Amino acid sequence: MLNYDNDLKKTVRLAMFLAFSVVLSMIETLIPLFNGIIPGFKIGLANMMVLAVLYIYGFKDAFTLGILKVILVGILRTGLFSTTFFFSLSGTILSVVLMALFRKITPLSIIGISIIGAISHSCGQIIIAILFFNINMIYYLPFILLFSLPSGILVGYFSKEIVNLYQKRLQY
Amino acid sequence: MNKNDIKLVIVVLFISILGFDFYYLNRDNNPKIAVVYYDNEQVLTIDLSIIEERKYTVTGFNGEVTFKTLDGKIKVESENSPYHLCSKQGYISESYETIICLPNKIVVKIESSSDIDAEL
Repeated sequence: MLNYDNDLKKTVRLAMFLAFSVVLSMIETLIPLFNGIIPGFKIGLANMMVLAVLYIYGFKDAFTLGILKVILVGILRTGLFSTTFFFSLSGTILSVVLMALFRKITPLSIIGISIIGAISHSCGQIIIAILFFNINMIYYLPFILLFSLPSGILVGYFSKEIVNLYQKRLQY
Repeated sequence: MNKNDIKLVIVVLFISILGFDFYYLNRDNNPKIAVVYYDNEQVLTIDLSIIEERKYTVTGFNGEVTFKTLDGKIKVESENSPYHLCSKQGYISESYETIICLPNKIVVKIESSSDIDAEL
């Protein structure tokens, strides 16, 4: 009975994290930051929730959350199975896998992991652009690395706060 | 933010500076052409060595896409897309630069004329 209760709590919390991440990525499109400098550059606010879930529940749940987020945002904003959908799918998969890997093998804190996530999200998109759409986007790489630093630090700071808050308030 | 994070930041900064350097050194001064692709098929080649302003139009997925060339540079002047990212990008002129307009399935690549000679 107790086990069932905990499972239910976890499911509800994960659903809330998912809802937050979808809302954050909708809000993000309203912020026209950096729009002129690099086309398509975003802060990646939704990654904050994926990162928090990675620290609270582990890789498996973070991966599921990431995939579901991409599908939901795809339905709500860009359209399912459009080009942009595959771009964000590949970016999300690569970033979650690499964040989990770097968390295991390096002594980086959550902020460093967040920078890794920001970089690998963009790299996943570049890889799919080169492989499937034949677009040479490697020229963006230095810009992406540079802009991943502030956005990664920002997102990492917020996820740290979320994880701290979660451990303080919701552990019972 | 611990010591390891700062090390990571320094490494990333170093790589990005190295990348900027690489592109700066790889600039070539050969005359260039712009090649416009629609849905991965080449539809238009534009000679960029013409100094005065010219306009070209291509039909994209969402309607007409207008390009403007001026003194070796090319930009998308008008197009129909949700965020207008490619017209906000402005002029490009180097062979590593591309304009990508996913909603219109239009890609503009810049090629050096010397590459084309090598192919022929």
